[in-house]
Amino acid sequence: MSAVDLARLQFATTTSFHFLFVLLTLGLVTLLVVMQTRFTITGARVHERMTLFWGRIYVINYALGIVTGIVMEFQFGLNWSGLATYAGDVFGAPLAVETLVAFFLESTFLGLWIFGWGKLNRWLHLSLLYLTALTAFASAFWIMAANGFLQNPVGHRVDGNVLRLTDFGALLTNPAFVHALPHVISAALTVGGVFLTGVSAYHFIKRTPEADFFRRSLRMGVVTTALATPVLFTFGITQLNVVSELQPHKNEAASWIGLPLGFMILIGLGLTVVSWLTLPLLARDAVIRMRFPLYLMVIGIPVPFAAAIFGWLYREVGRQPWVVYGLLRTEDAVSHVDAGQILLSLIVFTSLFVVLAGVDWVLIARAVRRGPDVAPAPVSPLVVTL
Amino acid sequence: METLWLVVLGTLATGYFTLAGFDYGTGLLLPFRRRDEALSRMTPFFLGNEVWLVAAVGVLLAAFPRLEGELLSGSHSVFTLLLAGLVLFMAAVQLRLWWWLVFTGALMVSVGWGLFLAHLLDAPPFVALVMPVLFAVHGWVFQNRRWALFPVSAALCALPIPLAFGTIDVSGLMAHPATLTLLAWVAIPVIPLVVVLQWSIVAISSR
Repeated sequence: MSAVDLARLQFATTTSFHFLFVLLTLGLVTLLVVMQTRFTITGARVHERMTLFWGRIYVINYALGIVTGIVMEFQFGLNWSGLATYAGDVFGAPLAVETLVAFFLESTFLGLWIFGWGKLNRWLHLSLLYLTALTAFASAFWIMAANGFLQNPVGHRVDGNVLRLTDFGALLTNPAFVHALPHVISAALTVGGVFLTGVSAYHFIKRTPEADFFRRSLRMGVVTTALATPVLFTFGITQLNVVSELQPHKNEAASWIGLPLGFMILIGLGLTVVSWLTLPLLARDAVIRMRFPLYLMVIGIPVPFAAAIFGWLYREVGRQPWVVYGLLRTEDAVSHVDAGQILLSLIVFTSLFVVLAGVDWVLIARAVRRGPDVAPAPVSPLVVTL
Repeated sequence: METLWLVVLGTLATGYFTLAGFDYGTGLLLPFRRRDEALSRMTPFFLGNEVWLVAAVGVLLAAFPRLEGELLSGSHSVFTLLLAGLVLFMAAVQLRLWWWLVFTGALMVSVGWGLFLAHLLDAPPFVALVMPVLFAVHGWVFQNRRWALFPVSAALCALPIPLAFGTIDVSGLMAHPATLTLLAWVAIPVIPLVVVLQWSIVAISSR
């Protein structure tokens, strides 16, 4: 394999792993906002316990996701120095705003939320979670703006052999961005909804004595999925129209490119139908008493994750041979580095990420099995302790 | 404009080396200390310390797009070592995995920064050992709460930054003024805000 192929494979692997963490982070933080708001208003113990239980899982996932994000950020400079050299003036701007405004602040708010548990005024503590969620969404906003630019470069002029930023606003009204953002956000909410549903179903299968706790969680999961999937699907379809205008040859980029697209559409449609069919069955806990849907809910947990990866495969592979569509070819963007060095980093990071995703899975599974109400940890009940 | 962005980048890099420096130092000293106690003393600071690196690299990419690629891809395998160490270190600290993994991660990160410094200064590879030593001293000062010495060991950890900056001529490598003006609006309010917020994490968790 050439350096370009290896660098592409590495980017695909890193992004895919990173995105799995991101999806769950975004989905869960939104649901946590709902839980903690209810707790703050009503003061009911069950909402506090829900915030703690799901919050712990969120923190585990965030802690590991951040690590994949750092490698992701370095990769632009390590493997794709041609991209920064040529388009860094334009593409770098939303990316830097993301790291500063969104990520830098997000982790700080999250830190305050974690260590402020039980030590701050309830409303102040709630506002920290709102700020964490807001900056998390801002992260998605700026990353998608940067990606939208790569798909459909706007707001720039060519100046010799580099691009210059001329219109920052154009990056934010880019059709390759405005339709993709709600699609990605509703995908994250779907992941969150399906995750809540599946984990709660697991506890009903196990007949955990926490019926009220998991009934509420399961309902919240199903309702979230039912609300998010139609938005997800709609913006998926509108994007196809945008793509056919902006990237008319997308479907010819690779012979198999239709496959992930097809799977993604099927999964999206499936989740929409199933979640709406489940809604009436929430009445009098019919869906819980029927029992067999509970097994489907558990099996369903990985399904929206798979759909999201399929979606990215279609979006990114379909852009080839361009890294900045119509302006910079992928082969011209790769760093002048030996293929051997890229291979080494590919092997190192892929194996680390496989382990990391495995650890994430094991730790979340352990937190799930342990159920709510754990003896408080010494520092904060939200700090991950094993 | 050039000076402003060098100052911003320098501030972020200094923030990273002086804060994350005592994390790595704590990791390096773990074999010689009571491990649980050392790790929990570091926990409230940990996430806040490491994110300075992310901010610094973000600014490097946007304000110095033609420098970032050269710097990083020029030391590809050093960064593979450094980042692999960072992955192990962060995962091991946050999840309280095995202490020797924390130690190994810290060693890889600090040797990685040392090798990068040696590369920039055109110095022989053994100069790389300066970084683990500086971080270990800083970690010792932090762990023993010798606050009077803290600014000194922090300054020592940040010392490589002016040295490294001195080797780089940024003229012609910076982004265009349009990009830089936009970024200035973002970066200049955010950095003091983060400092205040991180300070309050420390204040809260020590209550």
